[in-house]
Amino acid sequence: MNANPLSELPQHQLPISQPRYVGQDVPRIEDPLLLTGRAEFGDNIHKTGMLHAAILRSPYAHARIRGIDTSRAEALPGVAAVLVGAEVKAQSRPVFGIPEGWTGHALAVEKTHWAGEPVAIVAAEDRYVAEDALELIEVDYEPLEPMVNALEAADGKGPVVLEGKDTNVMYARKFTFGDVDTAFAEADLVVNEDSRWHRSAGNPIETCVCIARWDPFDQSLTLEGSHRSPLLVMPALVGALGLSPTQIRIYTSPLGGSFGVKTFARYVILLSLLAKKLGGRPVKWTEDRIEHLAGNSSHAWDRHHNAAMAVRQDGTITAVRIRAMDDFGAFGEWLGVGQIVKPITIFPGCYRIPAYEYDCAAVLTNKVPQGPYRGFGLPSHYWVLEQLVDLAAEKLGMDRAEIRRKNFIRRDEFPYTIPSGNVYDSGDYEAGLDLLLEKADYAALKEQQAAARKQGRLVGLSVVTSIEPGLTGTPMLGLLSPRMFSRTSSPEGMALRMDGFGKMIAQVGFPWGGQSQHTFVRQILADYFAVKAEDVQVVVADSSTMQPGMGPVSSRIAVALGGAVVGAAKLLAEKLGRVAAVMLEADPGDVELKDGAFQVRGAPARSAPVPQVAGFMLARADKLPEGVDGNPEVSFVWNPPDHYLADEQGRSHYGVTATSAVHLCMLEVDHGTGQVEILRYVMVDDCGVRLNPSVVRGQLLGSLAQGLGNALYEEYVYDDQGQLLTTTYMDYLMPTVMEVPVVEEYEQCTPSPVTSLGQKGVGEGALHTTPAAVRCAINDALHPLGVHIAEAPATPFRIWSALQAAATSP
Amino acid sequence: MAVRQTVRVRVNGLERVAETDVRRTLVDFLREDLGLTGTHVGCEHGVCGACTVLMGGQAVRACIMLAVQADGAELLTVEGLASPDGTLHPIQEAFREKHGLQCGFCTPGILMTTCELLASTPSPSTEEIKDWLSGHLCRCTGYQQIIESIQLAATRMASDQMVLSAQ
Repeated sequence: MNANPLSELPQHQLPISQPRYVGQDVPRIEDPLLLTGRAEFGDNIHKTGMLHAAILRSPYAHARIRGIDTSRAEALPGVAAVLVGAEVKAQSRPVFGIPEGWTGHALAVEKTHWAGEPVAIVAAEDRYVAEDALELIEVDYEPLEPMVNALEAADGKGPVVLEGKDTNVMYARKFTFGDVDTAFAEADLVVNEDSRWHRSAGNPIETCVCIARWDPFDQSLTLEGSHRSPLLVMPALVGALGLSPTQIRIYTSPLGGSFGVKTFARYVILLSLLAKKLGGRPVKWTEDRIEHLAGNSSHAWDRHHNAAMAVRQDGTITAVRIRAMDDFGAFGEWLGVGQIVKPITIFPGCYRIPAYEYDCAAVLTNKVPQGPYRGFGLPSHYWVLEQLVDLAAEKLGMDRAEIRRKNFIRRDEFPYTIPSGNVYDSGDYEAGLDLLLEKADYAALKEQQAAARKQGRLVGLSVVTSIEPGLTGTPMLGLLSPRMFSRTSSPEGMALRMDGFGKMIAQVGFPWGGQSQHTFVRQILADYFAVKAEDVQVVVADSSTMQPGMGPVSSRIAVALGGAVVGAAKLLAEKLGRVAAVMLEADPGDVELKDGAFQVRGAPARSAPVPQVAGFMLARADKLPEGVDGNPEVSFVWNPPDHYLADEQGRSHYGVTATSAVHLCMLEVDHGTGQVEILRYVMVDDCGVRLNPSVVRGQLLGSLAQGLGNALYEEYVYDDQGQLLTTTYMDYLMPTVMEVPVVEEYEQCTPSPVTSLGQKGVGEGALHTTPAAVRCAINDALHPLGVHIAEAPATPFRIWSALQAAATSP
Repeated sequence: MAVRQTVRVRVNGLERVAETDVRRTLVDFLREDLGLTGTHVGCEHGVCGACTVLMGGQAVRACIMLAVQADGAELLTVEGLASPDGTLHPIQEAFREKHGLQCGFCTPGILMTTCELLASTPSPSTEEIKDWLSGHLCRCTGYQQIIESIQLAATRMASDQMVLSAQ
């Protein structure tokens, strides 16, 4: 058993002498059902009388719809209903999105905006028949010139994607913090790079599922399926359908992965409208993989960057400028555009950079609309920033690790406010770097690299850092829509109930999604009340019974749900404590919870175990103190402390915790093929107290694999007609076990002073760091040949082409 | 109306007979006609491996096979691994212990491949494990903890085998 980090943490809030579960590799609640194939994923749900939906999608990136004939489809035996754009337009408003006014309806109406946009939806007795019916729908399209070049879109050239707009620039803002111009004017060295990060996505192995049922008698809508959080879907439904939230009930199933994509507001609206046509019969839509790749609002980060860094001769970074222009696709649906502004929340990464400018834009093109993906726009930022640091180090002749050390925020500077206003709670970046260099034996690796180079091998090294904000709050969304997000709350709630035997039911507002959140709820509560882990069950509320809560987004669950669990436990302990005072004939102020029993302070022999107090509370209404009901149940809603609306410049305390990471990558590029082989990968991360170390390790290793995909393999490729060329997993390449290296992981623990147990968010994890680590190492490998890669993914073909070009240039 | 045919299979030791459309895939037949929803559909084009089941002891992808092609076959799905009394199969137990799953959606397919792997190669090397897993996509774990789970399962099952043969 590991030494428990909590025992050395003075501020930890568990009333137990020695925590037995928190900080340990406790087996997961989720596993028995998942391992035996009995977890009720969305597609397993079957309802009496249920119909199956299939969606007809536009074959054109941009086309006018002159007419739709659904008569043959409707006549097909087994078809219950067909819904087209005109009906959707008559019955609903466009899909929710910020900034407002940049989306279309759930089905294309007058024209289509991307190849794959839904044009009609069919409900039939089974999915096979529904798909047969799609082939019988005749759509008269007039193809239009597609907008596929984001640079032209930004310059005001070419066709306009959205009807009623005169521009494709959906969002543009230049943020300036500090005196950037002066820093650049006075710099000893300025390094520049233009780069291109191509679109990729989360691609959970389970696709999206929604089952909708409209009750025509009480005019209510019931939804089930793979929604990651009811509260994230509800506003989109209310806004689009004009229903009251009391008419809508949303149940969530376990998620077979989400990585940001399991909101799919467009499809939830669409299924709801289809259900309204079905006279009370439920209808299920299970997205197929091609639909997910080409149709869902799931792609992310398609960016053109121009970046520059101002540096002094001694390696001090004085300013950074980054222009990031995102080829956003057809619409700004839901909260996806937030990804373009998120870099300001951690812009300088681990460094003390006093001035920076971030000029960002999101433009519309006739491609799949973007949606959130794990990392929410930060991985490409570090991929740019860290490469600039390497370019500066190289020009100055400094070691890559030492230039980073020189610029690190120092351990005695926390809490540290960055120029854009966010506050990093705690950290020790230099210690992390030292640990990495020691464990990797950096000096020896440099020698190995030098020896390899002498043999003509293309071996590269990198040392790269990142900050992962744990919970980014709603003030960031206020930058996109001050009207809708003039709010500072980012709630996570929990209801907690105890029975007369001390068994607990904790109710959370979101389903399993892989991050083991329900397990750590159990761990914390079992330690708080000193009961057995099995005595704590965790249940999932639906939209009508849940407490306010946003669920698993933005690396927030350890922080936010961790806050909610401890908050609820404290409230319950207070309530029980007042009853215990009656039982112990003591003043309530003298009664405290310790190791599973209420004791009279200073007289520990006078004590009552928690279950006994709960049982008494339920059984002896006659003895309850004034103002205490006979119910050992509480609810608590946690919110981030100290959040405020962003100021005019765009400054705010956006996050709660700041997890740091430093990665070392050593790799070799094959001169003949451009293939990259990772030789060594070492990582150190500091996410404070690890509530469950195995779970944290899983988050880090999994996100590292995704980052490797971004760095080397994953890309949605479009042709010049806006046709997606990567519509299968034979074309969109995600890392398999053969591509992911064995990773050496080391941990630091700088407990967060602002969370309930010292934990920090780490759910997005290594995806922040790995793309940068791999690219910097590739460019280090290629440096002797004067070749530089500024595209992600760095596919073998891209590297090979660059090597060929260098070989043939004079 | 689609042509229908009777399909007779032995699944997890039980005889199952159902009439089904001849165009129905094996995975839809298992999930919808037989109610065995533990086998999942991830890509429907034979790449991700989530739908893997054992047919005659060999791993097959149930999404790119028709149900009628399995007529007369002996099938094992994830539902057939644990004992009805709630005891997990040693492979499942190892995955639980080593945190070899996160969302768990790809897991049933990986468990089935692991069954065949350990039946044919009781003490696989890391390279052999990787080779067998190369037909599966897992988006959560990064695979390392899956490899560790299979190594643990192999060790345990090999030592159980030794105890059995000693008896």
